[in-house]
Amino acid sequence: MSSLLDYLGSLIFGGAMLLITLNANDNAAENLSVYNGDMLVQEMLVQTVHLLEGEFRNMGLGVPESDPSVIAADTSAITFLYDIDRNGTPDNVRYRLGEPAELPGTKNDLDRPLYRSVNGGSSSCIGVVTAFRLRYLTRGGETLLAPVDASRLSEIHSVEITVEVQNPYAIQGRAEQSGGRDALYSSSLWQQTRLASQNSRR
Amino acid sequence: MGGNAALVHVLGFGFLIGYVSTNLMNIASRSQSNMSGYAAATESHNLAVTGANVALARLYSDTSWRGTVTQTLTSPFTGMFTYSVATLPGGAPFLRCVSKVHGPDETLRDTVEVRFNTNLLQSFTLYAWMTNFEGNVFWITGDTVWGRVHSNGNLHMSGSPVFMEKVTTAKGLDPKWGKGVNNAIFKEGVETGVAEIQFPDDLSIVFGAAASGGRQYAGNIEVRLYPGTSGNNDGYALVYSGGSVIDSVSMYDASFNGVLASTGTIGVSGTLDGKLSIASATNIEVRDDILYSDRSTTTSDDVLGLIAETDIVVADNVPNRTDCRVDASIFTREGSFRAENYNTGSPRGTLQVLGSIVQDERGTVGTFNTGTNTLRTGYYKAYRYDLRLANAGFRPPYYPGFYTKSFAIASWWESIHVPKFY
Repeated sequence: MSSLLDYLGSLIFGGAMLLITLNANDNAAENLSVYNGDMLVQEMLVQTVHLLEGEFRNMGLGVPESDPSVIAADTSAITFLYDIDRNGTPDNVRYRLGEPAELPGTKNDLDRPLYRSVNGGSSSCIGVVTAFRLRYLTRGGETLLAPVDASRLSEIHSVEITVEVQNPYAIQGRAEQSGGRDALYSSSLWQQTRLASQNSRR
Repeated sequence: MGGNAALVHVLGFGFLIGYVSTNLMNIASRSQSNMSGYAAATESHNLAVTGANVALARLYSDTSWRGTVTQTLTSPFTGMFTYSVATLPGGAPFLRCVSKVHGPDETLRDTVEVRFNTNLLQSFTLYAWMTNFEGNVFWITGDTVWGRVHSNGNLHMSGSPVFMEKVTTAKGLDPKWGKGVNNAIFKEGVETGVAEIQFPDDLSIVFGAAASGGRQYAGNIEVRLYPGTSGNNDGYALVYSGGSVIDSVSMYDASFNGVLASTGTIGVSGTLDGKLSIASATNIEVRDDILYSDRSTTTSDDVLGLIAETDIVVADNVPNRTDCRVDASIFTREGSFRAENYNTGSPRGTLQVLGSIVQDERGTVGTFNTGTNTLRTGYYKAYRYDLRLANAGFRPPYYPGFYTKSFAIASWWESIHVPKFY
């Protein structure tokens, strides 16, 4: 009788322990997934902004002082000149934000490709972002209305860049519907509030 | 048996927790490494820029300095930078700074390279007012200048004229500021004893442009400007000689480089829609209002240069006897901008200039009753700087310029951390 009670007690206790372990495993896996997503988002953001920062800081390199460095300036697209390979001839560099429809495979309907092209060549996707906003400021701090009129392009002195990257997958347990507007995604935001190329300060 | 099961259970549980913890720590570590890597890259870049600025400061304090310096930062800062200044073939200096920072995964290095122009061509349009010699004409109470002012001579002050931008003079103020009647207001300061700005030896650049791609005439001519339709940049100019039209010049003609010149006096009037420089080897006469089709100083792209070897004169004629408006950048190489018969007749109202006035010797446009400062003859002055001209890239075609020995930065290159593409 006593042995039977021992077995039953062990069974109940062991079953409880097993359930607790499985639950802990689920929670750990979910947290692992969230943290892993956060890390990927951060890595995507850092890789994208490395290139953005580097190229924007060199804007106007090799361009005569009398000529504007920025050829076209809009809220989510910019075309500017700088001598990439330092061969004496300024290159035409364009960044533009693509459309969500260009990324049909993503679960996040805010995801858009960020394209870069050089000298009118084919565009290459340098990252997937959910926001890419540009604001243009004059030497006196005036914000220029975008798209900036051609007659005022040469007044652009600094650029404010905002980039946001979100995880393509909604955080588990918090999304009513993956990809829906009320879904919650982990995200990283980067903003360079006054990025002024030294070449535009001449 | 029960004891063994419990042991297996505890060991399994411990293994599972350990595995998950390791993964979580790895991810946390990678996330941390990712952000600290970015921070280190930013630090490395900032250190290279800092070193370049240190080198610039050293170069600007002694432009003959050449050499290499390594500086290691002490706690709490880390890293080091090495800057060097060398001389390129041709004599211009070349600055390079390389930083070194220990990142979480690797040692990071960033480079900044700076090249200089030792002879920098500036446009005279950068100045709202400039003279080689001020003569004995005073800035008085009621005068207000928007834009930079410079003179290679003494600036004479009486009362409280207002200068909204920086004022420079190669000589000084007469009398000194705060002494006697000099209570001038300098909103952006005043600097005396600066280097002289040399006027060009001739107007060969603009006359060369007139001969090649522009229009060149001989003798006295008159240029009447017409705005064309309501469209932009479709104005035109009719050129008269002896009362007859001898030429018509379209501002939208792609083969026209925007320069129109003559060896004789050029009379000018009308409304300009486009970009034009009018140059005379002698004088230019303003015979009536000269206006831009679009007078907005923010949105307009109309710009006119009046360039004379000697004088630019506001003619004493019927149209100019009740005010005169001139939208133009004015440049006289050896003469003055002045009003004809400025000291005779009745007052003619106000002379409004929207642009820039650069003259060898300050001309006179009116006389005033001493004490009351009321106009006796000629014009009141209302000179307003065209703010578009402060942009070095915006000026009338082939407008004269001057060189400065400034070691101005010609290009600034910074290395880029190339990311991994997807």
